[in-house]
Amino acid sequence: MKYRIKIGRTVFANPVLAASGTFGFGLKFPGVANRIGGIVTKGITVEPREGSPLPRIYEFPGGILNSVGLENPGVRRFRKEILPELRRLKCRVIVNIAGFSIDEFIELVDGLDYKRVDGFELNLSCPNVKNGGVTFGQSPRMVERITKAVRKSTNKTLIVKLTGNFIDPLKTAKAAEQGGADAVCLINTLFGMALDESGRHFLGGRTGGISGPCLKPFALFCVERVASKITIPVIGCGGIMSGMDAIDFLSAGATMVQVGTASLVNPKASLAVWQALGDWCRRHEVKDWEDIVGRTKRQD
Amino acid sequence: MWIEQPILATHVKPGQFLNIKVSSEPDPLLRRPISVADVTGEKVRLVFRVVGRGTELLSRNRAGDIVDVLGPLGKPAMIFRNRDIIVCGGGVGAAPLLYLTRYLDKCSRVEVFLGARNRSQLILVADFRKLGIKPEIATDDGSMGWHGPVTEPVFRAVQKKKRPIVMACGPKPMLVDLVAKVDPVPVWGFVEQRMGCGVGICYCCGLRRKNGGYIRLCQEGPVVLLNEVEL
Repeated sequence: MKYRIKIGRTVFANPVLAASGTFGFGLKFPGVANRIGGIVTKGITVEPREGSPLPRIYEFPGGILNSVGLENPGVRRFRKEILPELRRLKCRVIVNIAGFSIDEFIELVDGLDYKRVDGFELNLSCPNVKNGGVTFGQSPRMVERITKAVRKSTNKTLIVKLTGNFIDPLKTAKAAEQGGADAVCLINTLFGMALDESGRHFLGGRTGGISGPCLKPFALFCVERVASKITIPVIGCGGIMSGMDAIDFLSAGATMVQVGTASLVNPKASLAVWQALGDWCRRHEVKDWEDIVGRTKRQD
Repeated sequence: MWIEQPILATHVKPGQFLNIKVSSEPDPLLRRPISVADVTGEKVRLVFRVVGRGTELLSRNRAGDIVDVLGPLGKPAMIFRNRDIIVCGGGVGAAPLLYLTRYLDKCSRVEVFLGARNRSQLILVADFRKLGIKPEIATDDGSMGWHGPVTEPVFRAVQKKKRPIVMACGPKPMLVDLVAKVDPVPVWGFVEQRMGCGVGICYCCGLRRKNGGYIRLCQEGPVVLLNEVEL
């Protein structure tokens, strides 16, 4: 079986990606990055950001809440310090970009027009910033406008990472498709918060984003809802901890998957997911991804 | 608790920690960072206090059990040569200082101060003695040694030394008090915090630098120069 998958102009060796924000820039674990489909970098903004106050992480049965607040060195330092390092990686590199205006998105794309950048993931779903992020992702009109503007500036692969927070992802996915995206990624973290004993917000950023195993049923629902109604591929993301979780997402209609929170527990998790997925395909004599992708609907 | 792992035991340095999956179940999901208290031969010693569900589950391990450990992680502590080092541990914070003292004792002049709420909360005193060091004790209730905070005798010791360095681990109030008391003497603190990944990919752990921005505790720490950060 051929495991390769093409999205936009990018050919991925297999359908497993390391999700943004949970794998740094892939440089800590090149042995993992080089054996999965690719990595999505931590979100990059135009200006450097120091991120949310501490604490930034909270654990609860079923998952975690985080509020990192897009801490990143900004596009200029990323270009100078991290991009040259990324050349050591052999895998596909998708840069997650988070603009706070349409102009910023264009500035980011223009500033990262390098061969090592295989594509972009538009972050229209980060719940931990005051403007931009999820506020863009909750408006189908903004999703379309941003995607369109970025599409005009680059012919690299364009993925739009969408949210499930108080908006029907089908609407925003259609908007991304209209705007010219090559794929949508569903879903980013969901709004959440935790309190301490005195009733104060636990997280320094007050609210955060829920991720981990508890997210999977909702993410799976979003993927199924969207996949059959748009023509561009869907990348499934949300609570994937095992190979079987990945198969569930493919069955629901996802063409690729992203492994996020699992990497925090085990930095090799994305590779383990890919290995388990590959083993499963061999065991079940899967000939083509088409046999699994979207099979749930076909069996209804 | 002792973990037998020859490769780990040869590589781990004072100040480093292990990130341990306390349960094979998805809950608790995240690993628990535990500092290394000592190394003997092929065994790594961990000393921790049961404070929550994670450490409670970890404490349930019995001899012969297999644990999922990621490490050694973090930057090793600086081993200063030919200096006067004041080692100050508060409560269970004495743990990582034992391994540190074993290293420091070979190349610097070391004095150890251990504090706790009361006598029963003091740990590893005998182990420090085995290194040939007589730790000065302080307890809040006076049940053993100096009656009061351990930072008092540390302060007195610091004053007698020329260019001393303090290396400390303990509860946050102790560290804050210590930095203020011995100022401008450098205080290297072993800082404990909630962590996500422990390997520098999630940007969840950190300490705020006094001149802005955050350090990633699991990468640039967990031993940091406390004079430069906000606790």
